Amino acid sequence: MNAVAHGERGLPGIRSTRWAPALASLLALALLAATVEIVLDGAVGHSSLIPKSPAIAGWLSGVGERLGFRVFLIALLVSCGAYAGLLAIAARTRGRGEAVISRRAAIALIAALHVIVFAGPILLSTDVFSYIAYARMGVEHGLNPYTHGPASISHDPVFYYVGHVWRHTATAYGPLYTLISYPLAPLGLEGALWGMKVIALAASAGTLALTWRCARDRGLDPTLAVLIVGTNPLYVIYGLGGAHNDLLMMLLMMVAVSLTLGSLASSRREAGAAATIVAGALVKATVAVLLPYMLLARRRVAPILGAIGAILAGALIAYLAFGSHGVNIVSALNRDAAFVSSDSFANEIAHLFGEPGVFPVDHDLLKAGLVIVALHVAWRTWRGYDWVAASGWTLLAISVTSTWLLAWYILWPLPLAVISRDRRLLAATLAVQGLYVLHQISPLLAPVQ
Amino acid sequence: MSSAAPTRRADPFSSLPEPLRPLAQEPEDRRRTSTTWLVETTLLVLVAVLLATATIHDVARQTGINDRLIADLATWRAYTGHHYKNVDIDQQLLGPSSEHEVVCGNTSPGPPKRRTQLCLAIWGPEHGGRRTVHGGWYIPPGSEDQRADRYGCFGAGAEGICRR
Repeated sequence: MNAVAHGERGLPGIRSTRWAPALASLLALALLAATVEIVLDGAVGHSSLIPKSPAIAGWLSGVGERLGFRVFLIALLVSCGAYAGLLAIAARTRGRGEAVISRRAAIALIAALHVIVFAGPILLSTDVFSYIAYARMGVEHGLNPYTHGPASISHDPVFYYVGHVWRHTATAYGPLYTLISYPLAPLGLEGALWGMKVIALAASAGTLALTWRCARDRGLDPTLAVLIVGTNPLYVIYGLGGAHNDLLMMLLMMVAVSLTLGSLASSRREAGAAATIVAGALVKATVAVLLPYMLLARRRVAPILGAIGAILAGALIAYLAFGSHGVNIVSALNRDAAFVSSDSFANEIAHLFGEPGVFPVDHDLLKAGLVIVALHVAWRTWRGYDWVAASGWTLLAISVTSTWLLAWYILWPLPLAVISRDRRLLAATLAVQGLYVLHQISPLLAPVQ
Repeated sequence: MSSAAPTRRADPFSSLPEPLRPLAQEPEDRRRTSTTWLVETTLLVLVAVLLATATIHDVARQTGINDRLIADLATWRAYTGHHYKNVDIDQQLLGPSSEHEVVCGNTSPGPPKRRTQLCLAIWGPEHGGRRTVHGGWYIPPGSEDQRADRYGCFGAGAEGICRR
């Protein structure tokens, strides 16, 4: 029967078996080469894409040339093309019960990408210097980062590196994250920078390990799941490259999800999961959206008690450490929600309809749209829809309706998308990421000067 | 295994009408065929089309702006004969959506804005990588392009812009 079945499929199957490993190797090399190009050029120093930074990657600086838009965009497009090709091969061959990209090869590729970016400079964002500035404000200067912006420590060496837009802005990050960052402050600027990179690397490794475990617990292919997350160009270049605290938030998100899955699921673990979501929200508030869906899906007392306990403990710690301002994260989020970035879909749609940009009424419309999506998926969760997918849809909707969209925001739903039971979420997440990358390419279309 | 009936023992929601009762898991047969799934998928496709259209439109818009600004720089350099790198373009002064720009740069070699600067008001269609200069003014070394500092104004592009 097997022989007949193979014979009926004919040559395409045999051909694909032959070319798939070679093509997958080629695509993996292209992904690595493009990442190396960005890191080596980035190591040369400050450019329109590389923030001013202490020379932590100076030993790499003799090879490349200063990173400009054209080279970066070509490398990014090569990365995205190779990534798409790899996923297509992995998904197609998996469907036939083959494994062209083995578990070992996938992990080796992800590890290589992580090491390359970890060794390099800070890429594409000054946020990490804001993190360090807030830590140094609290530890070295005795100032509350929830009431002061980095401009209040303009004599500190980190101030020079903080993005202009954020120099007078108090932190919008959660009190748990601020406390986690405090031990890095006495290490000096370079020490703190490496500390932030280590946190980002460890958080990414943890997120990937938990993605693997969750995929396995749900009967999905764990190799494909970690390949989709761990080789994602936006995840590697923007997320890890910028040492963003979103990775730490995503780690706590995946800890929470993993606690609710598998044969060991229990009331205690569900309470722990709810508490972990609250802890994640005390790093970066966005992840709080998981909590209502988990509670709706579980409908037990234990996670509610876990969440309440964590909220009370978190509020107490935040109040003791930072006073009432440390507890009031909502006002900081409202402030940031009013910002507009040129890459936001809201801004693009405004341009499409002939408007110069987003108006206050548009903010209200976008919030209304987000509420409708959240209520719909909440209703669906109540009626048995996968709460992990519901959480992913809401995180995706937040990034799509946000007027302040940055590349690392569209990473939030990705680990949930690869383990969700609704494959539309993965398609939608990757499509949104694809459109984000497409929106970057206009400098490539300008004539070379 | 899945069932439309509530799965809890002593279900506190059992008094609710069936369509409002919570379910432990969506029935398998409803996942891909229900009206809800079809409506959701249709809406997702429509949103995807809107986002894709907006993105492509914005890339084209940005490309047009880039081309225009490159032409403005080339125009300033051709007009002054100086091939300086640090030349500023102001897209706001003559109207943010007007496609009329003001381009300022030093009139002699030196650090940016540390020499007398010549500002040109530029608009109109692009021909051969350049646009038309409709006027201009000078500003002293070390000054930003403020009304009080402008002098030596000329052409229609300077009308209402300079102090006199």
